[in-house]
Amino acid sequence: MATAKDLRTLGDREVVALAKAGKEAAYRELLSRYERPVFSLIYRMVRDRALAEDLAQETFIKVLNALDSYRPEFKFSSWIFKIANNAAIDQLRKRELNTLSLDGAPGARTAEEVEATALQAVDRTESPLAELESRELGSEIEQAIGRLRPEYRTAILLRHVEGRAYEEIAEVMDLPLGTVKTYIHRARLELREYLAHLRT
Amino acid sequence: MDKQLDAGDLDLTVLRELTALRSFAPSRGFSDRVMARVSLPQPAAVVLFRRAGAWVMQPRRAVTLAVAYAASVVIAVRLALPWLVGHAPALKLGAAWAGTQIGTLFNSVALSAADWAVRSGAADAVRAAASSGKVWPALAALTIGYAAGGYGFYTLLKTPGRTDAPVRA
Repeated sequence: MATAKDLRTLGDREVVALAKAGKEAAYRELLSRYERPVFSLIYRMVRDRALAEDLAQETFIKVLNALDSYRPEFKFSSWIFKIANNAAIDQLRKRELNTLSLDGAPGARTAEEVEATALQAVDRTESPLAELESRELGSEIEQAIGRLRPEYRTAILLRHVEGRAYEEIAEVMDLPLGTVKTYIHRARLELREYLAHLRT
Repeated sequence: MDKQLDAGDLDLTVLRELTALRSFAPSRGFSDRVMARVSLPQPAAVVLFRRAGAWVMQPRRAVTLAVAYAASVVIAVRLALPWLVGHAPALKLGAAWAGTQIGTLFNSVALSAADWAVRSGAADAVRAAASSGKVWPALAALTIGYAAGGYGFYTLLKTPGRTDAPVRA
């Protein structure tokens, strides 16, 4: 029987095989391996700690409950990052829709209709959570990452923060390799522009 | 990040800062919250038993099955009873013959075992072990073996048979 120490020495595929066989320790090992990378990616994408935690939780539940459908010819990390990235992108799209509806429903004609259908923007600067987020994501580079387009952000985070290969990023993002390289190149250029004020 | 950088240093600094970005951890108890909502695979027998139990426990199905079972028992007894009464002498004779055969077989097995124990010296070895105090380690070994067997049986039931299924690289 593999102990927690033994599990740490195994590769993802072996740990997944043990998890499929019903070993709870293997599930926990997968969680401990990926909770930080997955949470960090989602957090930097959605930039809201509580929301990131919910999305990371949903990602893990989805992945761990669907281990039987995992195809070992793919990397486990690609699979989990793909689900995490999709969750974050979906959330950003929803947020974009909500932001649009701050101005009221598209069909609203009169001032009353606009006011009735508009979302109330919440001032979060006072909450301790918002303070924590602004501190955590407050450095110049974090702020610059936050200004990138979501797809550039995913690509640059996976490449330079998580250290993933271009091929794996292409798998995660469901994009051709060339497109991924272009995204990363453009993201770097944009980061340089955003940080240009640091030049002499 | 250092202020007032040269233009040439900026690229390298951006890369260095990206690589050095800290990783964030979710709040405490994250993995427990996830595990609470993950269903671990169960042995096929357990899954089948649970499914069958759940299927049977549907109120309407349970009533239907109970009625069908009661009816089938009544019908079986109704059909079997006259036949049993009609063939009682033959059945009695058959039962007596079977009892004799089983008794004879049991006796011959017991006699063979006793004969083997005496001829092979096993009986003497046991007697010698009992007198020399070696019987306790033997009993302990037997107990440990029994416990190990029980644990092995438990493990076998706990994990599905595909534990060692090879994973394609």
